[in-house]
Amino acid sequence: MSITRRIFLRDSALAVVGTAAIPSFLTRAAFGAAAGARNKRLVVIFQRGAADGLNIVVPHGEQGYYAMRPSINIPRNSVIDLDGFFGLHPAMSPLQALWDQRHLAIIHAAGSPDPTRSHFDAQDFMESGTPGLKATEDGWLNRALHSAFAPAEKSAFRAVALGPSLPRILTGGEPAIAVNNINDFGVGGRNSSSVANTFEAMYANSVDAVLHGTGNETFEAVKMLKSANPAKYAPAPGANYPRGRFGESLKELAQLIKANLGVQVAFADIGGWDHHVNEGSTQGQLANVLREFSQSLGAFWIDLGDLAEDTVVITMSEFGRTARENGNRGTDHGHANVMFVMGGPVKGGKVYGRWPGLDQSQLYEGRDLAVTTDFRRVIGEAVYQHLGNKNLDRVFPTFPNQPGTFLHVLG
Amino acid sequence: MVLSRRVTGLIVLIAGLGVGTSVLAFGKKDKHSLPASQMEESKRALHALNRLTFGPRAGDVQRVLAMGLEKWIDEQLHPEKVDDHAVEARLAPFRTLRMDTREIVENFPSQQVIKAVAEGKQSMPSDAAQRAVYRAQLERYEEKKERKEEPGGSEAATGGDKLSDEQRARRREDRFYADVKAEEMLDLPPDQRFKEILKMSPAEQRGFSNALKGNRRDDFMEGMDSRQRETLMALNNPQQVVTDELVQGNLLRAIYSERQLDEVMMDFWFNHFNVFIGKGADRYLLTSYERDVIRPHGLGKFEELLVATAQSPAMLFYLDNWLSVGPNSDAANGIPKHGPDRNRRRRMARRFPQKQAKGKRNGLNENYGRELMELHTLGVNGGYTQKDVTEVARVFTGWTLKQPKQGGGFTFEERMHEPGDKIVLGHRIKSGGEKEGREVLHLLARNPSTARFICTKLAGRFVSDNPPTSLVDRMSQKFLKKDGDIREVLKAMLESPEFWSLEAYRAKVKTPLEFVVSGVRATGADVGDATPLARQLQSMGMPLYGAQPPTGYSTKADAWVNSSSLLGRMNFALALTGGKLKGVRVDADTNVASHDPPGVLAELENTLLAGDVSKQTHDTIAAKLDDPAITQRKLDDAARAPDVKVITGLLLGSPEFQRR
Repeated sequence: MSITRRIFLRDSALAVVGTAAIPSFLTRAAFGAAAGARNKRLVVIFQRGAADGLNIVVPHGEQGYYAMRPSINIPRNSVIDLDGFFGLHPAMSPLQALWDQRHLAIIHAAGSPDPTRSHFDAQDFMESGTPGLKATEDGWLNRALHSAFAPAEKSAFRAVALGPSLPRILTGGEPAIAVNNINDFGVGGRNSSSVANTFEAMYANSVDAVLHGTGNETFEAVKMLKSANPAKYAPAPGANYPRGRFGESLKELAQLIKANLGVQVAFADIGGWDHHVNEGSTQGQLANVLREFSQSLGAFWIDLGDLAEDTVVITMSEFGRTARENGNRGTDHGHANVMFVMGGPVKGGKVYGRWPGLDQSQLYEGRDLAVTTDFRRVIGEAVYQHLGNKNLDRVFPTFPNQPGTFLHVLG
Repeated sequence: MVLSRRVTGLIVLIAGLGVGTSVLAFGKKDKHSLPASQMEESKRALHALNRLTFGPRAGDVQRVLAMGLEKWIDEQLHPEKVDDHAVEARLAPFRTLRMDTREIVENFPSQQVIKAVAEGKQSMPSDAAQRAVYRAQLERYEEKKERKEEPGGSEAATGGDKLSDEQRARRREDRFYADVKAEEMLDLPPDQRFKEILKMSPAEQRGFSNALKGNRRDDFMEGMDSRQRETLMALNNPQQVVTDELVQGNLLRAIYSERQLDEVMMDFWFNHFNVFIGKGADRYLLTSYERDVIRPHGLGKFEELLVATAQSPAMLFYLDNWLSVGPNSDAANGIPKHGPDRNRRRRMARRFPQKQAKGKRNGLNENYGRELMELHTLGVNGGYTQKDVTEVARVFTGWTLKQPKQGGGFTFEERMHEPGDKIVLGHRIKSGGEKEGREVLHLLARNPSTARFICTKLAGRFVSDNPPTSLVDRMSQKFLKKDGDIREVLKAMLESPEFWSLEAYRAKVKTPLEFVVSGVRATGADVGDATPLARQLQSMGMPLYGAQPPTGYSTKADAWVNSSSLLGRMNFALALTGGKLKGVRVDADTNVASHDPPGVLAELENTLLAGDVSKQTHDTIAAKLDDPAITQRKLDDAARAPDVKVITGLLLGSPEFQRR
């Protein structure tokens, strides 16, 4: 209980809830000397199902693109042009302002070097951070915390996954919790502390190692949540989260952050990207899920207000999709994809990474966009720069990740 | 590690029944028997129940011991010998569970059917009740169309989070009107009540059906037959009736079927050959998929199951194979279906190349080819390449569906099939139309990688998250020797010492489905409506038929042990025993004879956890027996009995009950 109160008191002075639609520091003028590592947050978003990066950040300056996708391409006059060569899918308009304010960066042709086209394996590798190595037991986001700066008293909300289960990426030695819905994160409703205490004691005393540990983390989190009551933080004006699980997840994450619960790393995912059939172009299946994705992230950004200054969001998806459309106006499993990085310290407004091209000879295995940036290069920089964890060899044991090789997406 | 405080008591009881450790053989011809184990006989029975059923009911351990463990196992391995009329009676009201897909689509029309009727391509049904359902849906369809055609209409439709004040007011009004109407009609006999509904206008019917909820709905439907009930619900949303009945059937069977191993296998194979209910036509196809494709093969030959799934409309639709077209097939080349002989048609097509018909796309779709090898047979490291994926996709071109949205079945369409030989896993598959697919399935079903993959998964379900290699080897050998006979593979597993080792005892953490069903079984709850249980599964992250990726759900602990899920379990335990789940009745008190708190606790430990409760859990609850919130005791009324419901809830939420 004392932990809870102390963290809450110490940080509550910083809980400034932004009321303006655009946080003050976004003018860049106010963004000067970095604050200590104290409140830095890394949020990881997983697009499960292999999002079609080529129709999300469209290489509209690439000749081959339109020839390879006769029925599902995004016409040149529909893309939101970024730099004369790449353009955003029109459903991503909620993030255009972030790009213009240079808080959104894009890394194209990024991904995992492993050749697998299995959703399951590729997701597993991206979460373990060790492509090709199945024996790895923990996830990189957990390892990133393990060797990182830690406050003297760790919050039960230091590592949070929004959803009904704890994803692979957060499993490991550091306590991490899954929160499905902050409003019913407790036992037996409001008036049954006696029953809740009994459960707590049962798990605290249990010799069942797995359940004992999770039980302790759970009840600690329940108590913190009760005293901080994040539900009272309504979304900021202009933060219009769309209906659906993903929007709900980000809304609740913003509440946890605003309630100063000590969130250092967080994870949320959004499915529905596996469009083998009738993927659509400016409208359709991809456009629909992309709209939900972009609206949610846009709302999250506005909702965080000044707290966005210390927040970095990275998105990833297990692999891209075939450069050519298939026989059913869809795309099959491919290789490289696109990653987004958004946040206060992001040097945005730029597409990073080497573009490998779409000529037949440039395609991976003659069919897919080639990977020119290992996804760990992008994450590594965020872990090193933003979380301040210099032990990248422990976070990504099989990958040489030196600061000299960073893309310098973060300022 | 878990201390067996109460097991000794149980042993005494069993010894009294005169059941020793006599060893019987499985079946008559089989000479094998259960291997020696460090477990005591009662613990073995509990272990077997935990693994081969959805959890023991009160008294099951004793029943199994009285019958003989081996005889019971043999019976479970031959479900056809087990009488199951009680569960059939519970399922009787759900008519869709017995309908074929075409009947389901006709009775509970999909959007496509309604659209076809609206466009005059299909006629209205003649039956009055069916007509009412169609009329209500037609009106809804027209309304939607109108809304779309209004200026800014689509905007309003997509941004539909917020109802307008006008809509809200109308909905309130509808509900009020429905309440009054329902109240008025309650005095009429059920048949008359139903006829009154049929007399309403479609708009009234929909509003009425939509507003009729909870107790009022139950009261209103009291005395109606299942067809009338289904019609009433279908007025508002016909598809929902199909899904609801499927879910009811699944849970009621898991809870009440005496053929428990059959149910466990159904769950296992459905999950292995997962199909997501949220994908288009699969809403209508899963009833038949579960009943006609998965269920009959649960303990049969793997290859037969594999072929059945490959030809099932549900799978063909889910993994897109029905749309896959050979790039060099007649369909792709625009060669017409009818006319003079084939060669002449081809020549004509070459000379006068047609523009491809709009909406018809011609090309390969790899989705099924890949998952067939990765998830259904060989496993991801089973030794196939991207080239094999493409070749298998070519083989299965032409395996398609006749009108899936109207409930049509599998067909082989020669015109979509890629001509020529194919090479799969180094084998030449001779050009042979539909036969090629059969040959590839045969090849895959007999591949050692498949044997290993399937047996690892089975051992992972029945023994432990990381089953011993020796066990998997033995099962795999049996799989290959017996042509993928699943019953034989399970027997090999049950005859292995690894299954009965102390390491295996309570080694598995229950999935949410296993937890919920085992809780209902342990408490002997009477489930009149399984919907609240399904809702619980949804909030625990395991909605029935709701796994979107083809991998299905994990059965490993790390997927299900986390804070959100633990809280969900504790809350479910309290809700179940506290009578908070509508339609699920638990008579906790009738299970208990004692009146004194320690006696009540001991009895409940016996019925819910076969007496095998850790000292820690026992002591924690025992220390709270004087707590008024738990015992209902007032200070001046020491004689008042403890709250059986709360103690039951605590035990169901305990660490021990999370394992099986």
